[in-house]
Amino acid sequence: MYYIHKVASITHQNSFLQNDINALLVEITEGSVLFAPDYKKYVLPSSLRRLSPILRMAVAVAKECQEAINTPFEAISIGTALGCLTDTEKFLNVVNTVEGDILSPTSFIQSTHNTISGLISLELKNHSYNMTHTQNNISFEMALIDSILCCDEGKSFVLLGAADEGIEFLNKLKPIVISKDAFVTSGATFFALSKIKSNAEIGIVACQAKLNKVSIDSEINSFLGNLQIDSAAIDIVYSNCLTEHFPSEKMIHYEKFSGLYFTSNAFGVHMAHDWLIEQSKKYALVVNSSCEGGIGLILLRNDKAQD
Amino acid sequence: MDIFITGYGVISAIGNNVEENLNNLIQEKTAIKQGLRNFSSKFKVGEIPYTNEELRSEFNLKTEGSRTALLGMVAAKEAFLNHELFDHVKTGLISGTSVGGMDTTEEEYKKYLKGDRVNYKNYFNHPSGTTSAQIASELGISGFVNTISTACSSAANAIMMGARLIRSGYLDRVIVGGTDSLTQFTIFGFRSLMIFDDEWCKPFDNSRKGLNLGEGAGYIVLESQKSIQTTGKIALAKLTGWSNASDAFHQTASSPDGDGAVLSMNQALQVAGLKPNDINYVNAHGTATPNNDLSESKALIKIFNGKVPPFSSTKSYTGHTLAASGGIESVYAVLSIQNKILFPNLNHTAPIEETGLIPIKRIEKNMEVNHVLSNSFGFGGNNSTLIFSKK
Repeated sequence: MYYIHKVASITHQNSFLQNDINALLVEITEGSVLFAPDYKKYVLPSSLRRLSPILRMAVAVAKECQEAINTPFEAISIGTALGCLTDTEKFLNVVNTVEGDILSPTSFIQSTHNTISGLISLELKNHSYNMTHTQNNISFEMALIDSILCCDEGKSFVLLGAADEGIEFLNKLKPIVISKDAFVTSGATFFALSKIKSNAEIGIVACQAKLNKVSIDSEINSFLGNLQIDSAAIDIVYSNCLTEHFPSEKMIHYEKFSGLYFTSNAFGVHMAHDWLIEQSKKYALVVNSSCEGGIGLILLRNDKAQD
Repeated sequence: MDIFITGYGVISAIGNNVEENLNNLIQEKTAIKQGLRNFSSKFKVGEIPYTNEELRSEFNLKTEGSRTALLGMVAAKEAFLNHELFDHVKTGLISGTSVGGMDTTEEEYKKYLKGDRVNYKNYFNHPSGTTSAQIASELGISGFVNTISTACSSAANAIMMGARLIRSGYLDRVIVGGTDSLTQFTIFGFRSLMIFDDEWCKPFDNSRKGLNLGEGAGYIVLESQKSIQTTGKIALAKLTGWSNASDAFHQTASSPDGDGAVLSMNQALQVAGLKPNDINYVNAHGTATPNNDLSESKALIKIFNGKVPPFSSTKSYTGHTLAASGGIESVYAVLSIQNKILFPNLNHTAPIEETGLIPIKRIEKNMEVNHVLSNSFGFGGNNSTLIFSKK
């Protein structure tokens, strides 16, 4: 088990630093905005000006995770599907519109995917292992698999994160490149993960991610089969796709609450975490699949709950 | 647990495959010259002299993709040549890239800004993860595919991730490395940072001004002992050490004393169970920027307690290929061990005043090469070290 010692999310929900986010969930509608904290609490105002939404969100939730454990993280593993799009688009504009030789490098510097994890290492003054995974819709799972490896290798606390940012331009890619007609947006969810239990109740049992899937059902079957857990033992399923594997009353469509970004399943894990505590139930499964991308399955367990 | 290297592949400005790269390294022939494309023609770059169409036909590529993906397919296919897929050998691909499909994106975005007709379908190539999916598809690999994006250390980190997944039993065999194509985005980006040299770059030279950019891809195949029993492959060398550490100093610059580099080299030696004086050759990151080379030199002096082994930066041949560099230079590290040669650092005239370190200046043959240490450092203070050993 890889225990969740802290989870922090910035999303369209009133999710930041709440104990049970499920009680506060509201389905996202057009025009809905991110619940942003006062970022000045997390970043010096002089630096804050330069930071894009994804960097602000990620630093704030990373710092909340660090605050919750009293030891430095021994690894940082971040998943992002599309990285720092605001700065990427900004620099594309600079390249195409600015004449002459003097270009401002800020947006270029901040356009690389690992600006997120790099900035966190700077802000936390953390010299440890620092990784950025980007595998389209299973980017968060890749970061999680790396975190699990880090824990197994003996690292005590790992900062695991998922962050993506929506830009207006993405809407132009619907329906050709982005097939879902959903509300494209941003979000960040970070975890303090450890094999050490101490006060934690909920942990991640296992994660499976594949680029190609046979079918959602058969992937769920093999995943749960390998863990020797019966589908009927799963108390709740957070999913962004349809599957008849579970009765509909057990399924929650997390994208209705997160909006569409390609690491939103991390928020699904946050929802599942809070639900297991609140309901004192044992197992939650997070199912993430898209037609274009891969499939990711994450199983959570509540140690306190009875069978 | 031993991690065996059973295949390698590379495409860079100095050659389309391993053999051509080796020959040009031995003949001390750089391929950095004035660029061929509109956005590269003002600069000295390590460009691959094929259009995307030519890449597809020359290398018989079946899968569509960005230039980054096409270059990746060429090198990964060479690495995986004569390898077969087996049901019970869990095989994956982990590829590093920093630009992904930016080469197609920037073309489309230019049209969009001009108000020209845009083919939005081309944005399908943009995500870095798609680049790897396309390479995997060309190789016939499904299942575990991942992309690492940590700027210039991406390929080294992909290799490290692969080794760790084999060691943990998650995979039996994995193709690892990286790819990046030259784009207007990166050329303008590095120009905005003012770390370009208008002439040939001079790694570790006192008068070094900056880097030359390049493009290419490099991959190696890693296998466990168990995997080799099925695949029957003969090891070319072993991957024995790896580490990644964070400099946590500045978004782009390295710390003056190379703290992150010291950490990463130190930890890689520990993973390999080697002492500093076991290392026979260091393939340095050596971008030829004033900041990197001084900081890396100081870190080398610290790690090796003043007795720095023979070292060089092969970026004087290929240019800095960004996310691909760790993959390309891993192939060079294996070639160094196999052929008992040490590659020179071109264009070096005078050592850096503060350090006095002199890199290898001419090709050195018939050398005892048991262990090679390879550095890759990226923006965001992302420092990685790999150690390759004789099988």
